[in-house]
Amino acid sequence: MAYAYLFKYIIIGDTGVGKSCLLLQFTDKRFQPVHDLTIGVEFGARMITIDGKQIKLQIWDTAGQEAFRSITRSYYRGAAGALLVYDITRRDTFNHLTTWLEDARQHSNSNMVIMLIGNKSDLESRREVKKEEGEAFAREHGLVFMETSAKTAANVEEAFINTAKEIYEKIQEGVFDINNEANGIKIGPQHSTGGGASGAGGAGAGGAAGGGCC
Amino acid sequence: MPSSDSEDFESADEGRNSPSKKERKKRLSSSNYSDNLEFDLETKKDAPLAKSNPKDVAKSVDGWDDFDINEEAESSTKNISGKANVIKSDTKPTSVLNTNAKSEIQPEKSQDTGWDDFDDWGDTETSCNIKEDQLKPQSEKKHSNIKDVTERLAAASTKNEGWGWGWGVDSIFSTATAGISTLTSQVSQGISTVLETSIGAPDPEELARKSKDVHSQQTLSKEPSIEKPQFDISKNTDNETSFQFGSLISEVTKFVETTGTKVLAGGLDTLETIGKKTMEVLQDGDPGLAKKRAMLGLDPADKPVLSQVLREAKAKAEEEDRIREQKREAKEVHYESLFDDFEGLVHLEALEMLSRQVSMRIDERLRSVDPSKRQDIKETLQQVAELCEMPDDDEEEEMEESGDMSKPDALHERLLASTRDIGLKMQYQPLIKQYTETLEWLSSDPDLTEKAIYKRAVSSLAQATAFSVEVYHKTAEMLLVKPRRSTADEADALTQMTVVLTKHIGDIATLFTEKLNSITSEDKEQVNSHITNIFLEADNSSKYIQNAFHLALPIIQIGAV
Repeated sequence: MAYAYLFKYIIIGDTGVGKSCLLLQFTDKRFQPVHDLTIGVEFGARMITIDGKQIKLQIWDTAGQEAFRSITRSYYRGAAGALLVYDITRRDTFNHLTTWLEDARQHSNSNMVIMLIGNKSDLESRREVKKEEGEAFAREHGLVFMETSAKTAANVEEAFINTAKEIYEKIQEGVFDINNEANGIKIGPQHSTGGGASGAGGAGAGGAAGGGCC
Repeated sequence: MPSSDSEDFESADEGRNSPSKKERKKRLSSSNYSDNLEFDLETKKDAPLAKSNPKDVAKSVDGWDDFDINEEAESSTKNISGKANVIKSDTKPTSVLNTNAKSEIQPEKSQDTGWDDFDDWGDTETSCNIKEDQLKPQSEKKHSNIKDVTERLAAASTKNEGWGWGWGVDSIFSTATAGISTLTSQVSQGISTVLETSIGAPDPEELARKSKDVHSQQTLSKEPSIEKPQFDISKNTDNETSFQFGSLISEVTKFVETTGTKVLAGGLDTLETIGKKTMEVLQDGDPGLAKKRAMLGLDPADKPVLSQVLREAKAKAEEEDRIREQKREAKEVHYESLFDDFEGLVHLEALEMLSRQVSMRIDERLRSVDPSKRQDIKETLQQVAELCEMPDDDEEEEMEESGDMSKPDALHERLLASTRDIGLKMQYQPLIKQYTETLEWLSSDPDLTEKAIYKRAVSSLAQATAFSVEVYHKTAEMLLVKPRRSTADEADALTQMTVVLTKHIGDIATLFTEKLNSITSEDKEQVNSHITNIFLEADNSSKYIQNAFHLALPIIQIGAV
């Protein structure tokens, strides 16, 4: 599959918050109520389009169990985006966010885009964490926030795609060095001909205009 | 400018967006055009000052070399006239030099830059003399009244300027009608001649520096009274030591008396106007500005290059299209991209990260441990590494017997047997399932084409390898969280598993090559080439598997230390 960019994502958060279900909903558009415990890391991939460019999202779905923590930490490196997930029906998963965030910030590159996700928004009756609390946490730590439901697919697409958009913007701003694969971004095989033209053309026009002053 | 031009063109073509390309092209050429215009106007303005030194004339034929002078000329007209006053102050003492200057300037005529209207300028001088005479008594009366004098001088210049304007425009028009090229040469030659004669060969560097000083003061009406004399002295008298205020004053007086001042002051303004006018006229007679482009060195060097670039870019784009089409076809049987699609690459990447992390932990442990124990640990690590060495191929004969079991079941049995003592629940289902499907596919359709078989062969190898790498990755993860490690068993299990997996890869390759040999094909050469490639990819697959095993080694080792 040809793509302009490949973004590496990681999904992190306590066990049972629905990380693997979010991934399955995003990649396969289906929901599986009973899911095997994730061992170490599992992968998923999907192609999306941003600004007319094909972008492959390669998602590393990590195990939430404490036992795997030391293993999953070694996978943080080289991620361009992270989905930090908690369960709105379990306050403890929300309380652990700080630890997860510290972990992520410590083991990944500083430009990594982190999206905070309150999952299981379909279980309104069992809600333990208010949406406002999630928003406040996100604001405080400079994250993007969204409540999702892997079951109903509400906001699932948005969560993954908005993160990609933010990464893409960072590339455009030059924050991410796309040639450094430690940033979690790889350039696809078609990029040199497709994406390069507009940028180089702009620079060329600028150069011609600037030539007048000297 | 040339480099940016070509860049623009090339990239426009790369985009293959023809409407926007055209537009950009248009924009580009128009911007170039205006650039040229600006350049030319500047050149005209510069010309008088650049020519002021006869020795320098030959060098700076085009008036481009000296940037300081350019700057100067660009600043306000007022400044220029002020400077002109200074320059002119010793017209009379250096009259002898005039001839020299003129003779030196003669060769320049052929190069369109000299001025020739000497007679006209003579007229101007006489008329200015009158005004100067009026000023003379005043400035002699009171030396301290410099400011006053300068102001008057400025006023005189203004008047003069107005007069000069009329002359300039008239003259230009008449000459323009006569012949555009002649006009240019006449105008420019005239300027330099007048400058030469009136200035008396000042040092151009000095000139530039001094007048820059004047500029920095900004207000010409106040400061020049000091600056100007300074200027005069350095130029006129060769004794720099006698640089006193008194002498400055007298110099000022002298210089105020000089007639040429006003002439040139007005003359320069006129010249500027002439320059602008000339540009207009020149454009009329030279629509493509071919002359000017040539002068800027754009045309001869650039134009063929640009079209060349366009041609090359077009050819390049076509070639890329063709290659992309080929790639699309080739990709279907491209091992690496298939391996990636089956997630083999990402598992390998994850295993690498894990392996690196664990290696670092082992190194850390080695560093922190008591030196006496360090050697023990090193030995243990070495022993584990030896346990993980691949055995020779001799033993595989005995594993060949699979009894009544189907091939996939036999494979499953062997894999489970190899890892029986590892202490983990191993998952081989994907490998077994794929093997089953492959066998079914090969036996289902008797009329398979050689190409279809080849494609399926590469795909099956890539998939089996990807699943194998995944097994190593998962095993490594599970070993790391295993509560009780048994290093020797783990090492033995993974070694045996590697043997089984690499043999499995060989089996797949054999299945497909046998199938290829069994079909009747007209293109025997193609079949042989496919068979060779299948074995090459099988070898490649084995290397991936052994690489994965190698990456798992530190994970086995860390259980022992």
